[in-house]
Amino acid sequence: MRIGVFICHCGKNIAGVLDIKRLVEEAAKLKDVAYATDYVYLCSEPGQKEIQQKIKELELTHVVIAACSPKMHATTFARAVEEVGLNPYLLEIANIREQCSWVHHDAPEEATEKALEIIRAAVAKVSLAKPLAPITVPLTRKVLVIGGGIAGIQAALDIANGGFEVYLVERSPSLGGHMAQLSETFPTLDCSSCILTPRMVEVARHPNIHLFTYAEVKNVEGIVGQYKVTIEQKPRYVDPDKCTGCGDCAEACPVIVPNEFDQGLGARKAVYVPFPQAVPLVYTIDLEHCLNTKRLIVCEQCYHACGPKAINYLMEPKEIEIEVGAIVLATGYDLLPLEALKEYGGGIYPDVLSGLEFERLLSASGPTGGIVRRPSDGKIPKRVVFIQCAGSRDPEHGCPYCSKICCMYTAKHALLYKHAVPDGEAYVFYIDVRAAGKRYEEFVQRVMEEERIVYLRGKVSKVFQRKDKLVVWGVDTLSGMAVEIEADMVVLATAIVPSKNTADLAKLLKAPIDEFGFLNEVHPKLRPVESSAMGIYLAGAAQAPKDIPDTVSQASAAASKVLGLFSQEELSLEPIKAEVNLENCDGCAYCVDVCPFDAITLVVEEDGHKHVEVKKALCQGCGCCMATCPKEGINVAGFTLNQLKAQIHALLKEDEDD
Amino acid sequence: MIKKRMLLNLDKLKIPKGKPIVFAERCKGCGLCIEYCPKQVLSFSDDYNEKGYHYPVIPPEKEGECIRCGFCRQVCPDFAIYVEDEN
Ligand SMILES: Cc1cc2nc3c(=O)[nH]c(=O)nc-3n(C[C@H](O)[C@H](O)[C@H](O)COP(=O)(O)OP(=O)(O)OC[C@H]3O[C@@H](n4cnc5c(N)ncnc54)[C@H](O)[C@@H]3O)c2cc1C
Ligand code: SF4
Ligand code: SF4
Repeated sequence: MRIGVFICHCGKNIAGVLDIKRLVEEAAKLKDVAYATDYVYLCSEPGQKEIQQKIKELELTHVVIAACSPKMHATTFARAVEEVGLNPYLLEIANIREQCSWVHHDAPEEATEKALEIIRAAVAKVSLAKPLAPITVPLTRKVLVIGGGIAGIQAALDIANGGFEVYLVERSPSLGGHMAQLSETFPTLDCSSCILTPRMVEVARHPNIHLFTYAEVKNVEGIVGQYKVTIEQKPRYVDPDKCTGCGDCAEACPVIVPNEFDQGLGARKAVYVPFPQAVPLVYTIDLEHCLNTKRLIVCEQCYHACGPKAINYLMEPKEIEIEVGAIVLATGYDLLPLEALKEYGGGIYPDVLSGLEFERLLSASGPTGGIVRRPSDGKIPKRVVFIQCAGSRDPEHGCPYCSKICCMYTAKHALLYKHAVPDGEAYVFYIDVRAAGKRYEEFVQRVMEEERIVYLRGKVSKVFQRKDKLVVWGVDTLSGMAVEIEADMVVLATAIVPSKNTADLAKLLKAPIDEFGFLNEVHPKLRPVESSAMGIYLAGAAQAPKDIPDTVSQASAAASKVLGLFSQEELSLEPIKAEVNLENCDGCAYCVDVCPFDAITLVVEEDGHKHVEVKKALCQGCGCCMATCPKEGINVAGFTLNQLKAQIHALLKEDEDD
Repeated sequence: MIKKRMLLNLDKLKIPKGKPIVFAERCKGCGLCIEYCPKQVLSFSDDYNEKGYHYPVIPPEKEGECIRCGFCRQVCPDFAIYVEDEN
């Protein structure tokens, strides 16, 4: 065995703290180490060349690279050693940057000692490494997109146009998501539905897209390349094949319910489409409010009104099983409920509105036909106060983050309000205006200057009612004055939170979420559209609050990742998988239950002999089984118990034999 | 007093309205219509018809609440009730 140790300076990142010369000297003395050296930037082209050359020249059999985290460059170096014929699993990375020089920059001597230990452990581990070959598994080149907002729509269209089949699952009765609820969009003020509806129609018509609305993903099994998914189609009680969307049923229905699509500001019937441009244009009976129940039919008005006899009160939920190779999560966002903002009168006073509620009042297809009216009495408000950061950037409300879009949509709201009510007055309370985006700053400036909207820098302490007015108490921190404004309406730019049940779905898919419940990406800069669960990609506001341009870009990025994956016929997976040692395994099956991926099964041979078996495609190499087995009967390749033991002994500076 | 929110498009939604017409003399007091009415618009009269039965009536407070579903007419075994269209 001839191990080569290469130590990287990473410019000053490592060499500025650690004593590289000493590291090289000490490394060269380690058992089985044939060669040790250092280099300024090993990841650079000449750095990699140097490694390759030394492998060939000195006939190195194993390599340790002491540098940055393997998350950063493990693949770079693996590729480099492979090019000169060394199996990439005979390479070990010793992380002396993130885990040493960066965190111990104030104690260089001790840090050098620690770095030495890290290198020693890596050498011990690599000396027991075995060459491994990637395993190939079948790849179903179809994708599931969850969520039919603009993110899901864009991702589905891009993948379908790339020639692959897409299953798009949306839980509400129509495609569109929140974008369908918006009036006009910043910074160009084009009408939201006008740009969205054609895309929705394209999805419905696309030969490669199977659209499931009013449906949810109930179960997901398997791994990248071969997910088995169960979709539950909720009953609409209207046959989608027969319904012509004429709306005669709704005309006849006697039940009036607040329309969720209008944020409850307008009404719909118990049989309804959420909005006239809905896709698919199929009516749905909301059984919760329909006079009928599952067991008793007492009203048949819609049935009689429906020409094509599409109404069927006996429809049952349906389950659909599909197989896909990848999943795009585009489940979007919700708003922090108004009730959470009691200090601003949220949920208490009828004329304290959320941003989305105000969008519905501004929308030409909204409950007021675009006339801004107060929900309390239908009057046109003459003075409106907008409060930004309502819940956002506020740890007390659990949202210390910036919701990113509110500065922009508040400016838009104030402008659209002034256009709708020219003699009205608009005030905006803000902490600071964040308008980083193409033509965003110009838009806000225009609103402030041309529309003469009063921007007050400061927070609002309280909103309360005086007669039929809302009194807003705040401070203007620029003038240092306390301000009292008597308003007719208050609009809160409520914080963006992940959409309902995102956490449950994430759990089902084993996709991690962050502390606020947004889906987590693998790397915030370099891999922003991938979940660490392989084969799962992220798009839109489900990952973090974002506006439409960012959402669409991310959706297209996720789609290109999927297309990249699907460019292969078969999937090659890392061979870091559990392997059963049949000599030690006695079939006690402790490992079967602990495996989070259900990859282990118990096998009973004809002669009664028992042992476990690993489904390689399912195994993620987490090592739970290895840690559980009392008999060293199961090992993760590349991380065997022996390797880990050797690593620990080396760290403890013990000889393995003592 | 804090007001409630109103639904801002109510004027645009049509609700079917009906008026049940009862032939009291035909009724045999089975109460099926009262039982079936989804809006519970009907209740038994205090007085008796010629045959000696209580028959369905609409108490004043339920006036205008019929939604013209026509179920009473459908279930009545004696054709003693029907609904007139009020829209
Ligand atoms: C008041 C307001 C005004 C705005 N104005 C603008 C603007 O002018 N310009 C601009 O660029 N941006 C604006 N935005 C931002 C814009 O709404 C978002 O960028 C965009 O809607 C994000 O799209 P999405 O598809 O990621 O999420 P969403 O629109 O939330 O769509 C997610 C979809 O997934 C579905 N879903 C959720 N969970 C599941 C599940 N488990 N299974 C199946 N389906 C599920 C939902 O029903 C929904 O249809 C505004 C936002 C607000 C709040
Ligand atoms: S009446 Fe029938 S066809 Fe018309 S929208 Fe309703 S269910 Fe569809
Ligand atoms: S059965 Fe009656 S209440 Fe139910 S949706 Fe049809 S018309 Fe409306």
